[in-house]
Amino acid sequence: MPAALEIVDLVKRYPTGTEALRGVSLRIEAGEFFGLLGPNGAGKSTLIHCATGLAQPTQGEIRVFGHDAVDHYEQARLAVGLSPQEINLDWFLTVAETLDYHGGYFGMPKGERRERARELLDVFSLSEKRDDRTRTLSGGMKRRLVLARALMHRPRLLILDEPTAGVDVELRLELWHYVQRINAQGTTILLTTHYLEEAEQLCDRIAFINHGEIVAQGSSDELAAEYGVSSLEDAYLGLVGRKELSRAHIAAEAP
Amino acid sequence: MTAAQIRFLSLVRREVNRFMTIKRQTVGAPLLETFLYISVFGAALGSRIKELHGFDYVVFVIPGLIMMAWAINAFANNSSSILQQKFQRAIDDQLSSPASPLELLLAFSMGGFLRGLLVAALTFTASSFLVDIPVEHVLVLLPALLLVGFFFAQLGVLIGVRAEQFDDVSFAQTFVLQPLIFLGGVFYSASLLPEPFQTLTHFNPIYYMINLVRYGFLGYSEANIAMSLGLLTAATLALFALNHQLFRRGYKLRA
Repeated sequence: MPAALEIVDLVKRYPTGTEALRGVSLRIEAGEFFGLLGPNGAGKSTLIHCATGLAQPTQGEIRVFGHDAVDHYEQARLAVGLSPQEINLDWFLTVAETLDYHGGYFGMPKGERRERARELLDVFSLSEKRDDRTRTLSGGMKRRLVLARALMHRPRLLILDEPTAGVDVELRLELWHYVQRINAQGTTILLTTHYLEEAEQLCDRIAFINHGEIVAQGSSDELAAEYGVSSLEDAYLGLVGRKELSRAHIAAEAP
Repeated sequence: MTAAQIRFLSLVRREVNRFMTIKRQTVGAPLLETFLYISVFGAALGSRIKELHGFDYVVFVIPGLIMMAWAINAFANNSSSILQQKFQRAIDDQLSSPASPLELLLAFSMGGFLRGLLVAALTFTASSFLVDIPVEHVLVLLPALLLVGFFFAQLGVLIGVRAEQFDDVSFAQTFVLQPLIFLGGVFYSASLLPEPFQTLTHFNPIYYMINLVRYGFLGYSEANIAMSLGLLTAATLALFALNHQLFRRGYKLRA
């Protein structure tokens, strides 16, 4: 069975000369819940953009369920749903239209779009807002709508780029439960987050990315072992070279 | 309907929905503007000028106004729509869909093309109630208007894709497009101009477009019809080919 996402020696160099990805290779198996962690500017979003057609790789290969994301992008993109880091809703559309158009862009027939939109609006508690314009929604509602939009065309690989940044505790837990459920139903998930407990709780495997390179990958315990520490947080602090911020270190130093 | 047809229709529907949502500004305002021109140049000035090349002055002016309405609306719609979506990054929803560069280009073009068609058709219909407008050469008029609409729709896409701020769009419209249209002979016959302005007018591409449309309606032209139609077709195809190339490269759309 092909991997949900297979990246081989991916390089992304921007016209400015900045090398955001320096030969990244990564394989996410179908059905996995995979975490991608790294500091700001490490290359997480660039990697995601290359996989979804929003950025053009300089060199390397990207395959989504075996489909080349550059040369056979149509099949590859059909399989991917993206919930981007920045909320990017269309101001001119209502909540229901946002889902309907997205379904249309992915070739879903009208009846199927209507049914799927109703289901997602219900799941994300947006049914009462269905005819409201997106710009009138609260921050939490916008975040839910972005996630619903990513799920609209029933992607087999869901990419969540910092989905819980700035959302309240209830919504974060709601999102966790929902994505865990769809992962159990077979959807592969690639999650980037700065909340390490989120990655620890949700992800089967995690990769650390820094300066455009994958520097380590494995389960949360494996990563901790690789860095010779006892938690994912300490492993991450080892990655970014800030061990002095470790809770254990601070507790030991306290008078 | 196939998935590709659903996709294309959804992309076009989004563009039409945008200008219909704000139709007071996108359809109402241009209509009012055109009728202000008709009132000023037709009723006020026209009573002094009487006839131009055997036509009532207002009848001489209306074909140019219809062409101008289509051109400016096609341009303004596409340049604003694309820039706005780039600003909000809402355009990523279309860019990460399975739509090809050609489908995206045609769909973005159709928004302005259809808005221009709507304003031009309403202008023609309403003007027909006020004055008798002949249609002498429908087989020249229709291709000429369709080509003019498509040319300016492409120009709008080009400027929208290149633009980085709203000033870029308004600069192109106010300082380039509008002077060229006004000086192309919408409100006068170039043959009445003193030299060197008469000769200079022949270097203005819009002069030939106005002549084609005026010939289609009134049967009067100062320029060679076959040559004008040939040049307009060539210019439209060249612009379309350039845009297609830019969309394929993802120029200023994909990182």
